[in-house]
Amino acid sequence: MPTVEYKGKVFEVDEDGFLLGGLDAWCKEWVEYVKEQEGIQELTEEHWKVINVLQDYFRKNGVAPMVRILSKVTGYPLKKIYELFPSGPGKGACKMAGLPKPTGCV
Amino acid sequence: MGEVKKHETPLLDQLKSGPWPSFVDDIYNYAEKHKKQSGFDVLGQMELSYKEKETHWKHGGIVGVFGYGGGVIGRYSDQQDKFPSIWAFHTIRVNQPAAKWYHTSALRKLCDLWDHRGSGLVNFHGSTGDIILLGTVTEQLEYVFYDLTHQLKMDLGGSGSNLRTPECCMGMSRCEWACIDTQDIVYELTMQFQDELHRPAFPYKFKIKVSGCPNDCVAAIARADFSIIGIWRDDIKIDQEAVRAYVAGELKPNAGAHSDRDWGPFDIKKEVIDLCPTKCMYWDEREKKLYINNKECNRCMHCINVMPEALRPGDDRGAVILMGAKAPILEGAQLSTVIVPFIKIEPPYDNLKNLIYKVWDYWMENGKNRERVGEIIQRIGLNRFIVDVLGLKPIPQHVREPRSNPYIFWKEEEVEGGWTRDVAEFRKRHPA
Amino acid sequence: MSERPEKPDPIYTQPYDPTLAEKLYNPQKPMENRITDIGPPHYWQFLPPVIQRNYGKWKSHEIIQPGVLKYKAESGEVVYVVRCGTPRLETTDYIREICEIADKYCDGYVRWTTRNNIEFHVTDEEKLRALLEDLKSRKHPGGSYKFPIGGTGASVTNIVHTQGWIHCHTPAIDASGVVKSIMDELFEYFGSHKLPAQVRISLACCLNMCGAVHCSDIAVVGIHRKPPLVEDERLEKVCEIPLVIAACPLGAIKPATVEIGGEKRKTVRVNEDRCMFCGNCYTMCPAMPIADGQGDGLAIVVGGKVSNRITPPKFSKVVIPYIPNEPPRWPTAVKWIKKILETYSQYANKYERVGDWIERIGWERFFELTEIPFTWHLIDDYRLAYNTYRTSVHFKFTSHVEVMTDYEY
Repeated sequence: MPTVEYKGKVFEVDEDGFLLGGLDAWCKEWVEYVKEQEGIQELTEEHWKVINVLQDYFRKNGVAPMVRILSKVTGYPLKKIYELFPSGPGKGACKMAGLPKPTGCV
Repeated sequence: MGEVKKHETPLLDQLKSGPWPSFVDDIYNYAEKHKKQSGFDVLGQMELSYKEKETHWKHGGIVGVFGYGGGVIGRYSDQQDKFPSIWAFHTIRVNQPAAKWYHTSALRKLCDLWDHRGSGLVNFHGSTGDIILLGTVTEQLEYVFYDLTHQLKMDLGGSGSNLRTPECCMGMSRCEWACIDTQDIVYELTMQFQDELHRPAFPYKFKIKVSGCPNDCVAAIARADFSIIGIWRDDIKIDQEAVRAYVAGELKPNAGAHSDRDWGPFDIKKEVIDLCPTKCMYWDEREKKLYINNKECNRCMHCINVMPEALRPGDDRGAVILMGAKAPILEGAQLSTVIVPFIKIEPPYDNLKNLIYKVWDYWMENGKNRERVGEIIQRIGLNRFIVDVLGLKPIPQHVREPRSNPYIFWKEEEVEGGWTRDVAEFRKRHPA
Repeated sequence: MSERPEKPDPIYTQPYDPTLAEKLYNPQKPMENRITDIGPPHYWQFLPPVIQRNYGKWKSHEIIQPGVLKYKAESGEVVYVVRCGTPRLETTDYIREICEIADKYCDGYVRWTTRNNIEFHVTDEEKLRALLEDLKSRKHPGGSYKFPIGGTGASVTNIVHTQGWIHCHTPAIDASGVVKSIMDELFEYFGSHKLPAQVRISLACCLNMCGAVHCSDIAVVGIHRKPPLVEDERLEKVCEIPLVIAACPLGAIKPATVEIGGEKRKTVRVNEDRCMFCGNCYTMCPAMPIADGQGDGLAIVVGGKVSNRITPPKFSKVVIPYIPNEPPRWPTAVKWIKKILETYSQYANKYERVGDWIERIGWERFFELTEIPFTWHLIDDYRLAYNTYRTSVHFKFTSHVEVMTDYEY
């Protein structure tokens, strides 16, 4: 499996760049790293709100929330989430929050 | 372009012979001519699958372009050492023009793009109708998207839990039976629902397909969560002269579809009247005249298919809306079920759009993860879906037959006196 | 109605610029110069002028020979359509060759059908004859036709199929190779009108069934026959366990905890007796691979249809539960498909689709005529199975019936 080195930390990732160590391996440096990948200029409180909601939900339920639940809990419409995370809630926000890669039918 | 490495493919090579177009020959010649390593590598990996009878593509893959949540399917080889050029081999779904008409100027430019940025392999078309660009690496995705939008005025199709690319039959562009303008409907709906198509927010996928008549050439009833099928309400138009020409053997039945076998002379009684599912037709041999009891016709299209020069759909046209078809995963396959027996279809199709929004609202609020619309209808009951969710009137057209069990979920307000009862009062009348 | 651009957008005649995207896309500012949500090109610009002129005003059509249709408009104008099969999986060079033909005969216009056929349009008979000759002469080096003509009327038209081993991550079988093998064998039925009605063949390489396989006259479906593996070390990292559990239609997956190297890991266990090998767990969880070279293969289903003609649309039914994967030419599957097709062709009435024919003669007669062995696998035991049991004394005495005289207890 490929690894990513960023600011002295080493992360195990899959081909899509999702963190393999789960929430245990997640840290501030990972967030910084994904921020650069995503072309996000500056992390705001709004970004952190999305990350926190995702992680809380995952800790409680063992799954990432469906998109409309994420919208409801954060109060952000989907359009806003795409503004915050240009790759979208799955590929962008879940990745930054250290959640497993979403699966399902393409 | 450096040296390319070819792989031995004795098994695949056996698919070069035979009359049907050989994809193996095509891919080999392409790879050879363009010195494309990915062409040789993908055949090499496929040969390995032919030997081992197992796929060598890894599970899943989430890649895409900024701003969209769908349209690109991530794919990675599990044999990256052997076939390095296809370590990543992502698919790009490109929204096809309605009914898949093209001009070569657009196709050639698309080919140039894909030679430059991808494997050169394509599907025309994918199962849902998109143009499929098969195989490129992650680094190329944004550039492909920029090329598509800036140089080809094309956009990505749907993938994941979103609206999948809507699709239609050829409709009015060539078919005399099209009761609705399938291409315009699909174009309008696709443009209206760009956000839903590109940014997955649904519990699962949602497909819209539009067929111009009950022949359903785009398989809307079998493959779409929201099936729009053109129909007419008034009388089938009859050209008695042409009917007589069929009877006299001057015209070929079914437009000549049976020309290579001797089925005997055309017999209108046997081939049309007796096969009519509602037995609503009558051929008067003496008068040489065809009668149709249109009130009893269920528009199966058989008589029209058999005598296209003589019979045509009526003029009071619209569509039937059916919902809920899906493939077997999970609860078994479903066909779409009638929801609106007749809807007038006029641009800009606001009634259609509103109906779709209504379904989405309910499904998004109440659908479980990976639950298709057809499954939520089953879960809550078709009756509740029609009455409570959509606010429509239940009618016999909604069912093939009424229920055979009397286990009805009566609502309290339907029952005289309500459900609150006094057990003491009951026992006064009926001592235990 | 949407505005109709009469001619192909002039942008298509400007040559492709391979350097433009690099100038426009800036990874540091990924949203700069980005065009989104423009949707597909408007269809009208790609319609040949004769089609534009007669749009919605067609009068009738006729199949003048297999693969060649003649459409008449109310205006009196006529258009001839030549239909050709394609392999669906193809290269840009193949598309360019289509373009070359379309430029030569059709002023650059071309259309694809829902079933992966190409349609070339011409307006005069001389061009039609030249086009037909040209198409017949084009072959791949291995000898296969590039553009076989057919797929109209009472024929076997092109097979709708999925990706298989060329690109899919969950297939039980290949797709393109199986399709090539079937169509090679049924080729005479593609270019002729000798069947009782049209026969729609489809192929799906797994039970996800990307394609209308469940409503086809004859279809091939890839199936697995071994329960999924469970990778305990990896599972909790790459799967959302509640989703995996919910993904099993039979509730055969339960959460579990294991110890690996002194560490507790969350994982799942599969009740293998309850597994019906649908593969839905693998779709949701990469740590539960189900594919297996020995176990996988294909099932044959028959008798479905989509059209409302005469009888309502219906599902296909399983008649052969399993045939092993036999690359590169899948001879057993091909043999049975041909046998089913030709038995149907021999016994069905004119206009009768495969499913309608079988319903008329009875499934017991179908199995007798086709000589397909009937086994316990074919009796449904999933949801709504009861609907398929025979609850009448209406049946036929085919060779299957053995008279019961003695019965030991």
